[in-house]
Amino acid sequence: MVRKKVPEWLNSTMWSTPPSQPSSFNDDSTLLRHSPATKMSSMKKEEAESISVTPPPSTASSVPSRRPRNNGSSISGEYGNSSVAPSSAEDFSRQAHLSAELSKKVINMKELRSLASQSLPDSPGIRSTAWKLLLGYLPPERSLWSSELKQKRSQYKHYKDELLTSPSEITWRLVRSKGFDNYELKSGSRCMLSRSRITDEDHPLSLGKASVWNTYFQDIETIEQIDKDVKRTHPDIPFFSAESSFARSNQESMKNILLVFAKLNQGIRYVQGMNEILAPIFYVFRNDPDEDSSSHAEADAFFCFVELLSGFRDFYCQQLDNSVVGIRSAITRLSQLVRNHDEELWRHLEITTKVNPQFYAFRWITLLLTQEFSFFDCLHIWDALLSDPEGPLESLLGICCAMLVLVRRRLIAGDFTSNMKLLQHYPTTNISHLLYVANKLRSKMLV
Amino acid sequence: MVLVLALGDLHVPHRAADLPPKFKSMLVPGKIQHIICTGNLCIKEIHDYLKTICPDLHIVRGEFDEDARYSETKTLTIGQFKLGLCHGHQVIPWGDLDSLAMLQRQLDVDILVTGHTHQFTAYKHEGGVVINPGSATGAYSSINQDVNPSFVLMDIDGLRVVVYVYELIDGEVKVDKIDFKKASTSTSAP
Repeated sequence: MVRKKVPEWLNSTMWSTPPSQPSSFNDDSTLLRHSPATKMSSMKKEEAESISVTPPPSTASSVPSRRPRNNGSSISGEYGNSSVAPSSAEDFSRQAHLSAELSKKVINMKELRSLASQSLPDSPGIRSTAWKLLLGYLPPERSLWSSELKQKRSQYKHYKDELLTSPSEITWRLVRSKGFDNYELKSGSRCMLSRSRITDEDHPLSLGKASVWNTYFQDIETIEQIDKDVKRTHPDIPFFSAESSFARSNQESMKNILLVFAKLNQGIRYVQGMNEILAPIFYVFRNDPDEDSSSHAEADAFFCFVELLSGFRDFYCQQLDNSVVGIRSAITRLSQLVRNHDEELWRHLEITTKVNPQFYAFRWITLLLTQEFSFFDCLHIWDALLSDPEGPLESLLGICCAMLVLVRRRLIAGDFTSNMKLLQHYPTTNISHLLYVANKLRSKMLV
Repeated sequence: MVLVLALGDLHVPHRAADLPPKFKSMLVPGKIQHIICTGNLCIKEIHDYLKTICPDLHIVRGEFDEDARYSETKTLTIGQFKLGLCHGHQVIPWGDLDSLAMLQRQLDVDILVTGHTHQFTAYKHEGGVVINPGSATGAYSSINQDVNPSFVLMDIDGLRVVVYVYELIDGEVKVDKIDFKKASTSTSAP
């Protein structure tokens, strides 16, 4: 790619208006889809057709053929589906393909990743299992699943026992283990109550570093913060914030997960926003129709949350803000990405209107776009994020770049105030469209 | 897990200037949920100081208290336990277990907290438990000149209580522990 001009396919009218139904496409694609045996060959045909319709520059035409076959089917699918709900035929076939993939004895991770990168269907159970596989919680070999799950779940239970028991409880366990005879009120004779000296042991007013009580009181602040944040998570979704006991138990579970995480990671503790990252994971696992998975959603969500956060830990540590791994460098990379794809837009945003990417990208990146889209759209975006073999950050930057590019007309026409407003309240978009553009941008990056 | 601080007989400013500094450094706000005070503070400044440690403060009248509005006895329920509070100068002989047991039956409480003797004691009898937190400042009493400052912290957790006794002996804080529990009653109030 020599010129930095916006490629024509990006400015094509297809993206901004509902397609005037290139109906020849749709018929061909649906017909072809009904015969799974010819699926592979049909995809190549569809690609050829799609290329012939749009006048792409020479470089873009080489892009579709290089991508894995499944994405090929999605491209033509998108033409028909970009602003209407996905046609049931397409959905059904993808769902069938996914279910087939997920029920194999040894899951082909590459296949799963490429299927997920264009977002998973909403049918129950698929997303939950897929996310667990993509995050590395479940190994690809199905036979190892039950032993892995058992081990991880008992480990979580152990963490909870160790870290979340109140100091009173700990004291009583000690007393019981030493076999002391607890005096009972209103029983037997009158006597002096015997006392045992415990100056060296723990007591509630102890200020010692090793004191369980002291750590308990120090953690109270963290506990309060977590409590406040969990109560504020997604107030519009009954799963999180209804008055029911179900919602309350969900909140309890989320609080436990965040508290165990904070105590195990004294380096970053709890930072506001972690509740937003935990929410989709816990929601998906808890709504798994499989009884076993749903009841252990807390333990599973804990490990997946840790796994997901491990790539982004450095963003939560203030000292690392300016370092190579910190949030500033990620924002700079995003800016660079935009510049590489769309020099005009970049220039207008950063230089002419002086919209510093930190103003909008900070929240986009640290919260993994959970605040920019509706909860259910977020789940689709996260499918794409988690499917990236290089880690979610790469995909995330790609999607952020796509978000900017998709509203480029409004951005270029706007000044500082209107651009800031637009970017901080990103308009609702068609998510599959967004993911498609993001994918295209990323593959161009690899050119 | 409720922490209740029991103390009394400070006699500030007449017999003692203030709580020992080692005690004051331990009593930080935010840890304790209730304070029950057996009386004889004697002045409003101490009342205000105790209020900063915990806003929920229960006091009964000692014979030297300057605020006449405190009541003679008080009862309160914390968790599964009923606590009774009285200064103790009304109970004759002072510090006598039988007489205190009578008062406890009268108030119908599980744990009775009284003071006046400036001496820490903890008795158990058929009706329940009587605890005397002693004097938190180590002020002298009419029967005892040599008093060690002491106070009591109770950790009430369901049907179990752990009593931590803090005493200042020879300039060092010594902590003792007493635990007891209550048999679950058939008539449980929700």
